Amino acid sequence: MSGPLSGVRLLDFGQYLAGPFGPMILGDLGAEVIKIEPVTGDMMRMAGKPFFGCQRGKRDLALNIKDPRGRAIALELVATADIVHHNMTAGVATKLGIDYRACKAVKPDIVYCNTWAYGFEGPLARFGGLDPLYQASSGLEHESAAVHEGNTPLYYRFGMCDASNAMLSVVAVLGALFHRQRTGEGQEVWTSLFDGGAIFTSDAHLVGGVPAPRPHLDKDLMGMSATYRLYRTQDDDWICIAAVTDVDFKALCAALGVPEITDEPRFASSASRLEHRRQLETILEPRFRTKTARFWTRTLDEAGVPNEVPVDTQGGELPLFDADNVALGLVAQYQHPIMGDVRQFGELIGFSETPGVINGPPPLVGQDTRAILLELGHDEADIDDLVANGVCYEPDEHYTERFLN
Amino acid sequence: MRAVPGALNGIRILDLSWGIAGPLGVLLLAEQGADVIKVEPPGGDPFRAYDGYRVWNRSRRSLTVDLKTDDGREVFDRLLGTADVLVESFRPGVMERLGFGYDTVHARHPRVVFLSCPAYPDGHRLAHRPGYDALVQASSGQMWEQPGWRMGPIFLHMPMPSMGAFFLVSTGVLSALYARELTGDGQHVTTSLFAGAMLYTTQIWQHVEKANAQFHELMAKSYPPGIHQQMIFECADGWVHASVMSGLTPEKSQDEILGLDDAPDPFTFMAMAAEEREKFNARRREKFKEWKRDEIVAAFQQNNHAIEAIITPDEQFTHPQLIANDMVKTVVDPVAGETTQVGTPLHMFGTPTAIQGPQPTPGQHNEEILKELGL
Repeated sequence: MSGPLSGVRLLDFGQYLAGPFGPMILGDLGAEVIKIEPVTGDMMRMAGKPFFGCQRGKRDLALNIKDPRGRAIALELVATADIVHHNMTAGVATKLGIDYRACKAVKPDIVYCNTWAYGFEGPLARFGGLDPLYQASSGLEHESAAVHEGNTPLYYRFGMCDASNAMLSVVAVLGALFHRQRTGEGQEVWTSLFDGGAIFTSDAHLVGGVPAPRPHLDKDLMGMSATYRLYRTQDDDWICIAAVTDVDFKALCAALGVPEITDEPRFASSASRLEHRRQLETILEPRFRTKTARFWTRTLDEAGVPNEVPVDTQGGELPLFDADNVALGLVAQYQHPIMGDVRQFGELIGFSETPGVINGPPPLVGQDTRAILLELGHDEADIDDLVANGVCYEPDEHYTERFLN
Repeated sequence: MRAVPGALNGIRILDLSWGIAGPLGVLLLAEQGADVIKVEPPGGDPFRAYDGYRVWNRSRRSLTVDLKTDDGREVFDRLLGTADVLVESFRPGVMERLGFGYDTVHARHPRVVFLSCPAYPDGHRLAHRPGYDALVQASSGQMWEQPGWRMGPIFLHMPMPSMGAFFLVSTGVLSALYARELTGDGQHVTTSLFAGAMLYTTQIWQHVEKANAQFHELMAKSYPPGIHQQMIFECADGWVHASVMSGLTPEKSQDEILGLDDAPDPFTFMAMAAEEREKFNARRREKFKEWKRDEIVAAFQQNNHAIEAIITPDEQFTHPQLIANDMVKTVVDPVAGETTQVGTPLHMFGTPTAIQGPQPTPGQHNEEILKELGL
């Protein structure tokens, strides 16, 4: 058994990021993922790396679903599948003839998942949208920049609302799959980028209508408190400390050569240290400036004070070539026929009995068109005709003129 | 507790985890109907000191047990006999010292899915480093990846490693439960905050030998921060984030709505020299300042342009879409009283999700659970 989801077949009709990322993760867990791609290619291919970030390990059928013959093939394939997954905007799947009702008609126990921008219904449900909107609507951009200190809001460049929507869809699909396994019932599930943002700030809540206290960043974006933050060191490097307990605070002050301040009432408890945050920082900042980051991490380690020197990964080069990360399977490595050597994050979850698999590179447009159609029972002549009429596509000698990857 | 059975009805999860990733990962399972028992030391999980924990820690019962005593261990072992899943977030080695390492648990309770989510993976040179979220942000490189309003690493307000790992916790448990239906056996499922940090590198960390360098430069870290940052605008009374894409056909262009009559079309604009673009953007920024935040949001949306106000997290609860998504929920907390919390972001028509109850007080369900065990 390779991967806990071995034997599960998923059809991925999604494009861009928030759709395809979830199926990729389910593929890493052992599901067979078939990307149903327009014959003109996924719009995201032109972006290169971000496209690669959500497509590895999939098989690929290039199909024009708008053509009646294409739609018929899509439904033939649905009849063989366990999961249908996509991120089409409102009404598109219905127009294409592959909405839940249509899929259920050919596969009664199908698990059907639509990842939306905003949601299934509601005032903004008709909109599509990109990750930054949901960093705004969830309050992430407000907090990330300490806007309350007068700064301009700040976008997190990880695009994590896309990933969050996708991961919510993974969790929903797995729940539905488990339910199907126990009862034989399929169902329709949905998630959204909007909710994907909201989960990130879900600790924010109201008590009797009043916002509960929540930590905020300082104007320089150093951290949450005097003892849970970055400090600048002598060599213009940095150190991050997490001396949040009384014991760790005492050890920190001793290591920094200011043990006497731990006796002061204003720094006696974590609450009072938070209240006098600026005063405490004014004492600690110049101390950190007297030695290098390497000196401090050694010294604080010896003193048992939690700390790390922030790593500049050179855009991911360090972790993707890190021996421990590679040995532990955290790095995926494969060869792409056009793009050459590729590395990206690997298996993020380990399974002692059913280890997952990385099934190779992102697919070429239509690389499995013929194989999949043959599996469905179409004969070679029929497939040639479908390709000749643009209902399907498979790579030909002009591939690299049409597609980047 | 619930009216409609969830997908995980009848599944029992023992949650020994502290912090964010474990409790929030378990939340997504609890609200699919799993019976979650938080097993915490007498006095409670130390993270309870944080107010926001009351959201991440809801939808479960609490049993206080001292796993350092023989009696406590006996109770916990008895409980394991009734459980399907165990979730823990200690440093590698701690569960072994408590007498509940994977091998021991698996030998006695082979069907239990045992999920570990420490800060770093077992076997990694960082495995025994302290596991605070901020420190994993530092060691994983996320702080250096994020541009800010100064040079150097930026402290991420969002606890990003934990906010990746909680998804891996839910995913790991569900996958192993699925596999168990086929194999009959539980297994050791492992993830980490460090893996959680990697989850969010998918758009920025790829080594691709022959990648499209031009696009990657556009996406790269820059100072001042680039790409999407350029669509953030200040209004008369706040900030908005506009978007170039809505999936809809706009009626008027954004510039027309703003009152910029001589605006170039988007393609001409993209082709303009950076300096020219910046000149025009400066005019755009001035125009936004003439609008109130909520008025420009309404005007853009009416014309099929996607835009959001940059609100504080507390303002979410009045967002009409959050309400439409059934994500604004009243929860009566045993300590704080009436609270407003974000609901469950998993929308499942066949097996609806639901909040199962507020955060329990430490040991709130001791008597009930011990009775169920026949103790």
